[in-house]
Amino acid sequence: MNTHSMKQVTIVCEAYAREPLLTLLSEAGAHGWTLFEVEGFGHQGRRDADIPEYANIQVQVVLQPSAADTLLERLQSELFPKFAMIAYESDVRVIRAQKF
Amino acid sequence: MNPDLLQAIQTNLLSPAVLFFLLGVTATLLKSDLKFPESLYITLTIYLLLAIGFKGGVAIHSAGLAKVWLPAVVSMALGAMIPLWVYPVLRHLGRFPPVDAAAISAHYGSVSAVTFIAAVNYLKESSISHEDYAAAFLAVMEAPAILVGVLLAKLGGTSGGDRKLGIVIHEAVVGRSILLLVGGLFAGWASGPKGAEVTAGFFIAPFQGVLALFLLEMGMVAARRFQDLKKVGVFLIAFGVLAPLINGTLGCWLGSLVGLSLGGCMLLGVLAASASYIAAPAAIRLSLPEANPTLYLTSALAITFPFNITLGLPIYLEIALYLGGSQP
Repeated sequence: MNTHSMKQVTIVCEAYAREPLLTLLSEAGAHGWTLFEVEGFGHQGRRDADIPEYANIQVQVVLQPSAADTLLERLQSELFPKFAMIAYESDVRVIRAQKF
Repeated sequence: MNPDLLQAIQTNLLSPAVLFFLLGVTATLLKSDLKFPESLYITLTIYLLLAIGFKGGVAIHSAGLAKVWLPAVVSMALGAMIPLWVYPVLRHLGRFPPVDAAAISAHYGSVSAVTFIAAVNYLKESSISHEDYAAAFLAVMEAPAILVGVLLAKLGGTSGGDRKLGIVIHEAVVGRSILLLVGGLFAGWASGPKGAEVTAGFFIAPFQGVLALFLLEMGMVAARRFQDLKKVGVFLIAFGVLAPLINGTLGCWLGSLVGLSLGGCMLLGVLAASASYIAAPAAIRLSLPEANPTLYLTSALAITFPFNITLGLPIYLEIALYLGGSQP
C-alpha cells in the first residue's frame, strides 16, 4: 500500500492548558486532534486527576513535518514556560496525505 | 479553653458531614482503593452549588433586595480587602516571591462554597437561625479577591501578559462555581417560593446526603495532598490556620456591624475564613502561570479546608457570640 510520511506530535499537559493548546494547534496548521484524559507523575508532582485542578490531558496530532516543527517551536516558546507540559514527536505513515 | 467550645467542637466532629470527611481522610491514609471518578466530583459540586444558590435566591425573593444589598456589598468589600493584608504578610514574613504571595492571597480572599454549606449545616444542627439569603454573600465574595490578587502580582512586578487580565476576568466571572451559584440565585429569586416548592424534592430533601457524599470525597482529595505539606513549609502551614482565624474574626465583626443575626455573623466569618479551591485555582493558573500551584492548592485544600470543617466552625460561632451577634 502506498503510504506517506508524517509527524505525530504528542503533548501531555495539565488540563488548564487545554484551550491555549488547542488554539495553538490550529494556528500551527493541524487539521485535527485527539484528546484523552490521563493521569500521571512528573517533574511537577503527581497528577491524580481526582479533581479538575489536578487533571491531565494527552493530545495527539498528526501533521506535515514542517507544521510539526512550527508547533514544537511555538510550544517551547509560548506554553512550556506557563504550564506543566511535555511534548514529543515521532514518525508515522498515513494512507491519505491530504487529510493532514 | 471554654468548656462550651470543647462541647461544640465535639458536637461538630460527630455530625454526619464531618464524620464522612474524616472517613475520606482515613481511607486515603490507609491506602484504600476507594476512589471517586472526577465526573462524580464535578456532578456533586454542580448539585451543591445550584441547590445552595437556588435556596438563597428564594430567600432573597422573600426578604426583598432592600435587606440584602448592604451586607452583600460589605461582604464583597471584605473579600477584596483580605488579599491586601495577606499579601504583605506572605511577602515579608513568609518571604514568598511576589507572584506566589499574590496567588495565595487571592485564594484566601475568595471563598469555599462547601465550607459555607457545612457551616449552614452546623448552624442547623445547633438550632441557630441565620439569614437564608446569606448564599448571596457567598456568590459576591468569589471573584473580587481573585482580581485583587492578580493586580497585586502585576504591581509586584510579575511579567505582564498580553490578554491576561481579560482571562482572569472571564475565569473569575463565568467560571463554573460562580456561574452555577449566580444562576441558581437568579432562578431561585425569579421563581420564588413556588419554585422552591416544586424543586424541594430534589434540592432540599437529598441535600444532606449529597453533602455527606461530597465530603467523603473531599476528605480523600485533601488527604492526598498531605504529602505536599513538607514541600510548602512550616510558615504556610501556620498561615493556613492563623489567617482563617483572623479573617473569620474580621468577618464576624463586620457581620455584627451591619446588623446580621448571630448565625449570619458566623456565616460571614466562615466565608472570610475560607479559602477557595475551585474558582481561584482555575483563574490563577491561567492568569498567573508563574505562581507555584502546590503552594496555594495545598494550603487551601490540605490545611485550611480541613481545619475549618473540623475545628473552625464551632470557633467562628464562638467568636460571633463574643462579638455580640444577637441571638434571635
